[in-house]
Amino acid sequence: MDRRTAIQNLALVIGGAVLLPRCSKSNPSAHFKHFDITFDQQTLITDIAEVIIPKTNTPGATDLNLYGFVMKMVDECTKKKDQEAFLKGMAEFEDVPKKMFSKPFAECNKKEKEDVLKSFEKKDNSYSKELQAFYQTVKGLTVFGYTESKYFMTKEIVYELVPGRYNAWYPVKNGKAVAKNG
Amino acid sequence: MANLNIDSAKERTFDAIVIGSGMSGGWAAKELTGKGLKTLMLERGRDVKHLKDYPTTNMYPWEFEHRGEVPMDIQEANPVVNRCYAFKEDAMHFFVKDNEHPYVQTKPFDWIRGYQVGGKSLLWARQTQRWSDFDFEGPARDGFAVDWPIRYKDIAPWYSYVEKFAGISGNKDGLDVLPDGEFLPGFPLNAVETYFSKHVKEKYKNRHVISARCAHLSTPNQIHLDQGRAQCQRRTLCQRGCPFGGYFSANASTIPWALKSGNLTLRPFSVVQSIIYDEQKGEAKGVRVIDTNTKETIDYYARIIFVNAAALNTNLILLNSTSHRFPNGLGNDSSVLGKYVAFHNYSAHISAEVEGFEEWATDGRNPAGGGYIPRFRNVFKQETNFLRGYACGLGAYRGYKHSHEDVGQDFKAGLSSKEYGPWYVGSHMMGETIPKESNFVALDSSRKDAWGVPLLKISVEYDDNDMKMQKDYVEQLTEMFTSAGFKNIKAETDRRAPGLDIHEMGGARMGLDPKTSVLNNWNQMHACKNVFVTDGASMTSTSCQNPSLTYMALTARAADYAISEMKKGNI
Repeated sequence: MDRRTAIQNLALVIGGAVLLPRCSKSNPSAHFKHFDITFDQQTLITDIAEVIIPKTNTPGATDLNLYGFVMKMVDECTKKKDQEAFLKGMAEFEDVPKKMFSKPFAECNKKEKEDVLKSFEKKDNSYSKELQAFYQTVKGLTVFGYTESKYFMTKEIVYELVPGRYNAWYPVKNGKAVAKNG
Repeated sequence: MANLNIDSAKERTFDAIVIGSGMSGGWAAKELTGKGLKTLMLERGRDVKHLKDYPTTNMYPWEFEHRGEVPMDIQEANPVVNRCYAFKEDAMHFFVKDNEHPYVQTKPFDWIRGYQVGGKSLLWARQTQRWSDFDFEGPARDGFAVDWPIRYKDIAPWYSYVEKFAGISGNKDGLDVLPDGEFLPGFPLNAVETYFSKHVKEKYKNRHVISARCAHLSTPNQIHLDQGRAQCQRRTLCQRGCPFGGYFSANASTIPWALKSGNLTLRPFSVVQSIIYDEQKGEAKGVRVIDTNTKETIDYYARIIFVNAAALNTNLILLNSTSHRFPNGLGNDSSVLGKYVAFHNYSAHISAEVEGFEEWATDGRNPAGGGYIPRFRNVFKQETNFLRGYACGLGAYRGYKHSHEDVGQDFKAGLSSKEYGPWYVGSHMMGETIPKESNFVALDSSRKDAWGVPLLKISVEYDDNDMKMQKDYVEQLTEMFTSAGFKNIKAETDRRAPGLDIHEMGGARMGLDPKTSVLNNWNQMHACKNVFVTDGASMTSTSCQNPSLTYMALTARAADYAISEMKKGNI
């Protein structure tokens, strides 16, 4: 078995663990190396990722298990103090939909969910540092996970492992390449 | 050692021993075995076989568990190596982790190491420029260090010799500051780089922007195919090890070549404790090795010894090789061993936005990385308030336009947009530093590593000259970028520790006078004639070129000399 297969298998295992929460909603349901989160929090992050990268006629965040990637990166590639800010911000997050629409994020419709997230995109928002850190982390990692997913890198902007060429003068017209792989 | 019989000693006797298997050690092995010498190559780390031991080389980005990022526990456990730009998920297995091989930092020094067959030649940035006499004459003209015992004419044929075999891409630019070599076709400058090159040429008398010269097979020759290497496929994933052998590494080139001769014995897992000196004969007789698997101490013998352990570890070995004749380290009559260590000043870079050139982008990837600006300060005469000067990397690029704001369907679609954004341009400085007695390495008096070898104590820092040069780089590049019409110019300086340039040099410098240098004009020890040091430790000064090509040329030259001296019976 090559390393590629091994990593894919590992991803399946991780994905599986995420999809099968073991505990009731008030108890920790996903155990990571550095923290636990609840079933509701898993749903929240999954939902936020799906609002950022929704399923259209192409796969969205849930299809690509970007939740799993976001959490793996928060768990394994993030400094402790940033993890703490992430968890604190996550705990504050539900205040935003409650204030805007008087209901939890999960009960918001698609448009309302987008409005909640778009409120973070405004430069003059008054959210706490931790809350912003939580949102920016989820967004950054969702986008990172999406643009580095196999789907994106084989179907959207095709990544070439072996380009075999360097064309230093590649003609562009109206912002677009004149020829495909000229 | 008592139970080892004479037959065993015979098995442990070679014509030559090469300590180290990286950039210069590989060349020593290739040259010595090629001339028929039975050669033992010692490597302290594991074996890395070309192709077979490049586990990440064909992985796609999404196949990396963390998409290239290094897990935080590894980052935090390895603050030194984590500062290296190439220490990422795809290549971290080729770097020494901080706690594996500790050293003592009297002053902060980021010592970046690759302990495996091939050493850092697997990981290098592959930039290759010749020195000129403006570089070799530097110390004598400007009154620092000691005079180089060689000039350009001494090394020029050897540059040609190694360039032909390694495969160097570049253009014949006809510059006296940066002599042309034996080039494969160069990688072209793109639209913005070309514009900047023309602009600089018109505006400044002695400043040039050329295509970076690099150790890539843009178009291979027969000699490269004979090595089992193929054309560079413009992957720019070189740090993983190249499945095509598209760039020069000891693993892809010199070591397999040496093995093919049948004269090379490669011994990984072999930490060199010291070079053994024969007091009667007045020469080195072998090398004492600790097998890192069995912990056994084993002596190997040879007529000549090449020390290519990488600059600072070469110093460590020599300092630890004490005898009645050399109580302060092998060949150290001058007491300069370990001193006059220098490096390259990479502490500034600059970036800007470029308006226009909308009708061009690039396609594929450029292994050369873009352009190169040879040193233009203090070349023909002293003209600034600091000594020497700097070269600059230069690169312009243009990617797709992606907004990072917003969420939802349109945002998602925007990430797939193939509409080009603006051009950006950037440069980084590569400055010469002045070797000084106060920048030195020494053996720690008490602490030892797992093999009983004293820890290396590193005491190297920037000085006022470096800071003046950094300031000048920022001023000059800002002026050049402004003059070219680039916008939103941002220069940044940093307080990085020396070492992160991975161009540490000196400590066992070459020189004319045995009283003030360790090696002669042939990289041969003044005081122990059958020992040659041909890695970065031998450098009298650093100039500002990337040094590997010069190590290769010095090594091939020294090996040729060593063999002729053996034939004459002089060693």
